[in-house]
Amino acid sequence: ITKQCFVIYVVHGLEYHVCQPISIQGSNHPFIIVINCICIISFQVTHYKQYPPNTTKVYSYFECRAKKTESTKIQKVKYDKTVFYGLQYILHKYLKGKVVTPQKITEAKEVYREHFQDDVFNEKGWEYILEKYDGHLPIEIKAVPEGSVIPRGNVLFTVESTDPECYWLTNWVETILVQIWYPITVATNSREQKKILARYLLETSGNQDKLEYKLHDFGYRGVSSQETAGIGASAHLVNFKGTDTVAGICVIKKYYGTKDPVPGFSVPAAEHSTITAWGKDHEKDAFEHIVRQFPNVPVSIVSDSYDIYNACEKIWGEDLRSLIESRSADAPLVIRPDSGDPLDTVLKVLEILGRKFCTTENSRGYKVLPPYIRVIQGDGVDINTLQEIVAGMKKHRWSIENVGFGSGGALLQKLTRDLLSCCFKCSFVVTNGLGLNVFKDPVADPNKRSKKGRLSLHRTPTGDFVTLEEGKGSLEENGPDLLHTVFRNGVILKTYTFDEVRDNAKIRDCDLEESVD
Amino acid sequence: MAAQDFNILLATDSYKITHYKQYPPNVSKVYSYFECRRKRGGTQFSEIVFFGLQYLLKKYLSGRVITEEKIQEAKVFYQMHFRQTVFDEEGWRKVLEKYDGRLPIRIKAVPEGKIIPRGNVLFTVENTDPDFFWLTNYIETMLVQMWYPISVATISREFKKILAKHLKATSGSLEGLDFKLHDFGYRGVSSQESAALGGAAHLVNFCSTDTVAGLLMAQRYYGCPMAGFSMPAAEHSTIISWGRSREKEAFESMLDQFPTGPVSVVSDSYDIFKACRHIWGDKLKERVIERSEDSCLIIRPDSGDPAETLIEVIKILEECFGCSLNSQGFKVLPSYLRIIQGDGIDLNSVDEILEKLSDEGWSAENVFFGCGSALLQKLNRDTLNCAFKCSYVEINGKGMDVYKQPVTDPSKGSKRGLLSLRRNSDDFIETVERGVGKPEEDMLVIVFENGSIVQEYTLEEIRKNARLLEDYMAPSQHNQDEPKSLEPHQKHIMNGVH
Repeated sequence: ITKQCFVIYVVHGLEYHVCQPISIQGSNHPFIIVINCICIISFQVTHYKQYPPNTTKVYSYFECRAKKTESTKIQKVKYDKTVFYGLQYILHKYLKGKVVTPQKITEAKEVYREHFQDDVFNEKGWEYILEKYDGHLPIEIKAVPEGSVIPRGNVLFTVESTDPECYWLTNWVETILVQIWYPITVATNSREQKKILARYLLETSGNQDKLEYKLHDFGYRGVSSQETAGIGASAHLVNFKGTDTVAGICVIKKYYGTKDPVPGFSVPAAEHSTITAWGKDHEKDAFEHIVRQFPNVPVSIVSDSYDIYNACEKIWGEDLRSLIESRSADAPLVIRPDSGDPLDTVLKVLEILGRKFCTTENSRGYKVLPPYIRVIQGDGVDINTLQEIVAGMKKHRWSIENVGFGSGGALLQKLTRDLLSCCFKCSFVVTNGLGLNVFKDPVADPNKRSKKGRLSLHRTPTGDFVTLEEGKGSLEENGPDLLHTVFRNGVILKTYTFDEVRDNAKIRDCDLEESVD
Repeated sequence: MAAQDFNILLATDSYKITHYKQYPPNVSKVYSYFECRRKRGGTQFSEIVFFGLQYLLKKYLSGRVITEEKIQEAKVFYQMHFRQTVFDEEGWRKVLEKYDGRLPIRIKAVPEGKIIPRGNVLFTVENTDPDFFWLTNYIETMLVQMWYPISVATISREFKKILAKHLKATSGSLEGLDFKLHDFGYRGVSSQESAALGGAAHLVNFCSTDTVAGLLMAQRYYGCPMAGFSMPAAEHSTIISWGRSREKEAFESMLDQFPTGPVSVVSDSYDIFKACRHIWGDKLKERVIERSEDSCLIIRPDSGDPAETLIEVIKILEECFGCSLNSQGFKVLPSYLRIIQGDGIDLNSVDEILEKLSDEGWSAENVFFGCGSALLQKLNRDTLNCAFKCSYVEINGKGMDVYKQPVTDPSKGSKRGLLSLRRNSDDFIETVERGVGKPEEDMLVIVFENGSIVQEYTLEEIRKNARLLEDYMAPSQHNQDEPKSLEPHQKHIMNGVH
């Protein structure tokens, strides 16, 4: 035992383990530490507890783990940084205020008795929360501001129990908090696609006009539930403004708020049924009718019901050409292919339209269709095919001004918790008044090692982010902790508007520095 | 009845707001259908489990779903969203006035739980009043989300086939099959609602789950008081909080806390192999062997290559605890000891793991599996090519079969006309197009009409419909002209070869 309070555990008199310095609650007297350790060894464990007896605090954190070792499959997109988004929704919807009532406790007790065929539910624990806190959760959550773009492998939020009786609560809420992987992943993947579009748009046109409308959310029908649609669509709107997934706008209005009346927009568009209902021989009539219905706003017409190339060449390019040419630049016809290889189809459609409607060359030397006609590719678009299409267009000297994209399943559904390795782990506990840094470190997977002790997030002098472990962040020389308390004991203490979220997540010049080819 | 604060007018793709202006003049009926299209080139999943429609009907579509407040809310919203007036206020007010806010729609569907080959109609939707032709495809967005419970139930059942095959082969019986795949997916799914729906879909095939939301869903929407079970289990925090040098104490505490009933203990926090050999197999060995078969210890690895880790773990446990041979000549650990592999599990790895175990002489009885994202999240609408398409319209009183047939992708072609589903004379299920199907043969049943649910199913009935048949792949479940659609292991089962 030294003055710096290294703790020596005596395990049945057989082994000595010297642990790292820890914070001690209650006393600095070294002798008491040894006595407390001996008491742990002989302590009788009681029911419901898997944590060490006399645990009074469990402290856990969330991160998008960095991959330290190369995985076998080579990922084209690196996802080095993640957009932190979605905690506010979870706090408002599920964690704030009075979340427990006597009825809920009774219901839970019955459900769990049947489910486990045994009485294992911690009824007393929940009754304590009901009585002492009027059903408010005695936990504290500190988090990075929403919209922040943070490199992988850093702490994003921490959760700890604020009442010694409720140490078990920290990881009770893990399941619900880990679902934040979804809005984080949608927002991150959406932003990476924005970077690709921004680079190619800038390169082929000299500016980034309408960038925020270049990737439209088509994903409502392809997600697993209404709730997922709302969360995912709102995450996409962190980066873009075009969406057909109405539910996302409702989530933003209810849980974040914007200064504008709505954060996302759409345009009239056809679907296959509104074309095919006219009959195979009347595709031209369908096209004409719909175009005439919406003369003053952009209108998108799916054109592949029978033969996309014929539709472009003959119907749009000849039969209805003068109708299209009379449209203004604010109200273009947007032709939508919806089948076939995405890149091949886009190039062939552009080639046909270029022949029929002529093109001009912009200031960067790339071809642009007349302002009254554009193309939207909304089938088979994911981050990889998006990259392929814009690269292919550039190669064939087409400006990205000509196209917009729609993405459904890939934007909102084809994602898992593994993409950004999102996880929640315990890093610190207090047992018998003694703080202990805890972690896992599986021999078979270094990637799964977790962080130790109390954590904080800081900026280095060079502007990078760093996570400090083992409570080192509390030392003044490390600067302020970027994690703010957002929730304590049932009350939301800090909120962000969607405008702030968008601002934090915006693309900066340094994000575009990567070369286009 | 449908949720009060849910506004169905805001639960559709934006562009559908504009479709009432796009249909041909004098259209009086729009009839659409849903299928899991067949993809050319041999499908991995040749048959699907139909499940989940009752949830959508009860939660979102039945009863009085339109009110004046909701119309006003939608009107204001779409004005801003489209930056112009395009919302069909009058059309929706007519629904309110004529039908008291109930939807004049008819939905016919295959009974829930039924196993249907790909490429067949699963449900049809049509308006029941000529004024509301635009309503059929307005609700497409919501109905197409059926892809999810169908896909989860289907994938879950595919797991069951693999597990059944190996269990039968290495132990001679299917005892305990319903508990072999545990749902670990709650945290890895995209929302609470998806957890509930996916969790319930898994319970069509199995009885073990940690996704509590699924149990409640099955209770509230499918009449099953308790659809699934679980057991006390450790997580890493409850082990590592004891400190690195006290993993044994943490393990022992688990055995103390839960002396009866099965208990699962994650054992890879630091070194799974040492934990098995030195802690379970040595320091705590006495405590383990005193447990009964009903209170077995289930060791959980959670990292490393799933198959290799499992083989090494089972070998260590064999050394420490011994094993016996079952009636089929495969090795089984003592009844107080089992393993659950809950990391990296998907359809391929489960098959691979059980194959390797069997090669090494081990019965599938030794292992349980837990599956998270592969069960509930790693799926999308393309997994089973789920689509909703218009196949028939009436204009000026005249019916017309309609379809799409893109030259750029023949597999995206849609069915034509009024549809029905039947078993043909060879006992294969097939879709009859162009309205020539005989009503008495039609397997599609009216489930929803004008705001009311007219046919319901309980989880018990659904489970019965979805059960694996004795020989797993009865010929009647496949179209005869596509024998290639049987995967290799299925052909083996049919031929009695393993």
